[in-house]
Amino acid sequence: MEARPLTLGAEESPWRRLRDAADRRPAATALILIGAAVLVMIGAKGLHAVAQGGLNGLSLGAIYALGAVGLTLVYGILRLVNFAHGDFLTFGAYMAYMVNVTWSLPLVAGIAFAMLATAVLAVFFELIMWGPMRARRAGLLQLLLMSIGLALVIRSALQYIWSTDIRLLDVNTTDTVGFLGLLIGRTQLIVIAVGVVVLVAIGLMLRQTLLGKRMRALADDLELAEVAGIDTRRVIAYTWLFAGALAGLAGVLSASITSLNPNFGFDLLLPIFAAVIMGGIGDAYGALAAGMLLGVITEWSVLFIDARWKIGVGFVVLIATLIIRPQGIFGKAKVV
Amino acid sequence: MNEAETAPAKANGKPILEADGVVKRFGGIRAVDGATLDVREGSVTALIGPNGAGKTTLFNVVTGFYRPDGGRASFQGNQILGASPHAIARLGMVRTFQITKALARMPVIDNMMLAAPDQPGERLLNVILRPGEVRRREAEVREQALELLEIFDLARLADEYAGTLSGGQRKLLELARALMTRPRLLLLDEPMAGINPTLGRRLLDHMQRLRAEQGVSFLFIEHDMEVVMGHSDRVIVMAEGRVIADGEPHEVRSDPAVIDAYLGSGTVIEEPAR
Amino acid sequence: MPVADLLLPFGLTLDFFTDTGFWVGVGVLAGVYVLVALGLQLNVGFTGMTNFGAAGFMAVGAYAMAILVLKAGFSFWLSLPCAMLIAIGFGLLIGLPSLRLRADYFAIATIALAEIVRIIAQNARGLTGGNQGLFCAEGGAGACYNDAWTSLSSTIEGWFENLGWSDPEALAPLLLAVWLTVVLATLGLRFIQGSPWGRVLRAIREDEDAAEALGKNTLVHKLQSLAIAAAIGAMAGFFLALDLATVHPEDYEPLVTFFAYGVLVLGGLASYWGVLVGGVIFWAVLEGTRFVELPISETQIASIRFFIVGVVLILLMAFRPQGMFGKREEMVLGE
Repeated sequence: MEARPLTLGAEESPWRRLRDAADRRPAATALILIGAAVLVMIGAKGLHAVAQGGLNGLSLGAIYALGAVGLTLVYGILRLVNFAHGDFLTFGAYMAYMVNVTWSLPLVAGIAFAMLATAVLAVFFELIMWGPMRARRAGLLQLLLMSIGLALVIRSALQYIWSTDIRLLDVNTTDTVGFLGLLIGRTQLIVIAVGVVVLVAIGLMLRQTLLGKRMRALADDLELAEVAGIDTRRVIAYTWLFAGALAGLAGVLSASITSLNPNFGFDLLLPIFAAVIMGGIGDAYGALAAGMLLGVITEWSVLFIDARWKIGVGFVVLIATLIIRPQGIFGKAKVV
Repeated sequence: MNEAETAPAKANGKPILEADGVVKRFGGIRAVDGATLDVREGSVTALIGPNGAGKTTLFNVVTGFYRPDGGRASFQGNQILGASPHAIARLGMVRTFQITKALARMPVIDNMMLAAPDQPGERLLNVILRPGEVRRREAEVREQALELLEIFDLARLADEYAGTLSGGQRKLLELARALMTRPRLLLLDEPMAGINPTLGRRLLDHMQRLRAEQGVSFLFIEHDMEVVMGHSDRVIVMAEGRVIADGEPHEVRSDPAVIDAYLGSGTVIEEPAR
Repeated sequence: MPVADLLLPFGLTLDFFTDTGFWVGVGVLAGVYVLVALGLQLNVGFTGMTNFGAAGFMAVGAYAMAILVLKAGFSFWLSLPCAMLIAIGFGLLIGLPSLRLRADYFAIATIALAEIVRIIAQNARGLTGGNQGLFCAEGGAGACYNDAWTSLSSTIEGWFENLGWSDPEALAPLLLAVWLTVVLATLGLRFIQGSPWGRVLRAIREDEDAAEALGKNTLVHKLQSLAIAAAIGAMAGFFLALDLATVHPEDYEPLVTFFAYGVLVLGGLASYWGVLVGGVIFWAVLEGTRFVELPISETQIASIRFFIVGVVLILLMAFRPQGMFGKREEMVLGE
């Protein structure tokens, strides 16, 4: 019996080919689109405005990125939509407040303490809550509602102790630094610096260290990692430590350039989710890039719309990502 | 059942399903790489091939569950490639799944009644404005469902949650449910997997009866060569995303290309014991 | 009194049981949240759609009603069905792009969309009154959107008095209206749930692919489920707007959706009457914190409230996900 001759597929339209090419090289496509947008913006508002907005956006972006990296690893490994992550940021900020303002120690100590405390908090809940629930094969909605419950518990505890008063960390809020004709607050510059340093360190850690590689492996495919003999419980615990520490740091940084109140972390959560989804769930590098990008986009938006709408930008980007490319810019398969 | 009814009937020559150069890519991999085949009306056609040949993928593309990357397909003359799964099912081409999709937290009878076509009660407006008509059709559907369940010896389980059924019973339920839709072509994905020979025999008998009495066509993916050789009119062989052989069972069995494709996977095609 | 002595260690006073005004207030809030929860039950419990945008439906309903009355001169009674239609339209609008997303993305998308509604409400000052909210037309001396209701309410109070209840609570007519709606909604939902249409929804919940493979247009059914939840959510929004006498963006934040879920899972995800009971218990406990007489501030009492909700959610999900009245087999939460 002879095989049927191969028949060529239906003609593919040039539009379809373009979309397929874009699908296959998403990072390049994103870069091209962003580059084009930047050129348009410079044309409309001038180089200075765009550069200044970009600089401002970096501090917000660093905060988003720090929050997103931890969240995406947890989400990728545990398939847990952790609605309490925002409150980790809040928790970290209040820990720093305690050290920096209540005990009058330097902010550096506050940051260290915040990262440590939030890391411990994260692992604590993994041990008493998330681990046992996973063992019981809890479903998505169950875990989601539990994370919401946890968010409320953390937030209410913080509110009980510190009330809803807006508080400030003991930081320099007035000095500015100028270079290349751009201005930026001194504290904001420090936030960017700290953020970038930590993010680079994380990037290296994930790539070079054994633990980092294991984390990425788990985030990619948990079952496969288990089969390959990796001690997943240990790696999961480290991931939570990691996520907690980063969230705590993000919280302190945010508090140092704005302020603290019990809700601010949750307010940051949706933009952080946007960064996670944009970067592709489980992809720490993606979350990093997407977070920085989102911060910059948010600040650029102010060039065109009234500042009071700024908080909505993250939400709109989230929706747009979910509609156009739910697997994220760097996500692989169309697993949606 | 006498010889005349069980012997595979000569299939009427008109194709009911035609696929032409169907392509499906996943990233860089072409799971289906230009598959062309047709299923004749009233036939029982087997689709075989080593693992990874693209059989289930082809099913998924042709029934609307995957977006195609190229090619054409038509069912009873209607272009179906790219159509939504429910539209294709409504045309009369219904499929079952490799891993059964029994609706676990619904009773068996609900599983069955769900599948019946032409239910006015599925439109919200009718539920509110035409309750009498809805109720009448419900009663009809329930009767039909129980009859069908009886044939598969599942009627006594009608009120049990489908999730409590054994694997074999679920397979039967899935088939019975598919039959409730009054399909013209039934695509079965490994219908024999995991069920004992007696149940399997009953399934095959029922397939033959449906084909003989109602002219229902069957295309089934199967790994059990005994079943394939003994119960199908025609065998289509796929390997690496393409159709490499197509003909009567005994022809295909001795086709060197087919043997080649299987040698890699260690399956041996033997003469079925008679 | 010995009972009072028992309560004191908990910081509660006897007022908790005797204050009718309190219980009427609880009843109204419970009714509002039960309505929202019924819509969520249809989405989550019966269709398997993890809708977290309930607060958005309430906001659209309430704001549409108030804006139609205050800015477009509609009569209150006409604004209700119109606002419901607007809410349904909104539901369809958000459903079309987001319904094909998987469960966790859908949850995030719906929260984001509800928040966008709230941000618009907060910032489109001309239309929505911004952070002040809406109550009366500009100038303060103009019509208030709940005028028509206030007069009807007085009439109903008159009926109560005729029936022998001297000095009825001001909110009593609203209580009646809310719970009448709740009962009608419950009966209506039960009816359509038992129909073949409802069967398709349950099939979608179990396995969408299987439903599609049997010829069911799952998108249309999911949109209908969402539209109904939007309509019910809008009604809840109306009642809340009447209860609080203002329409204010802060009353429609994600916390409201979370509380509604609390009511839903407390009563049982697949039990209608469970939701009703769950709502009353939920709000009796929450509002009961007002009677706590411990040496702590108002904000701290508020934080206790959130804490209780959080703990209840956690404990329920961990130990009794089917809620007080749900059946273990119908438990939707463990997949």
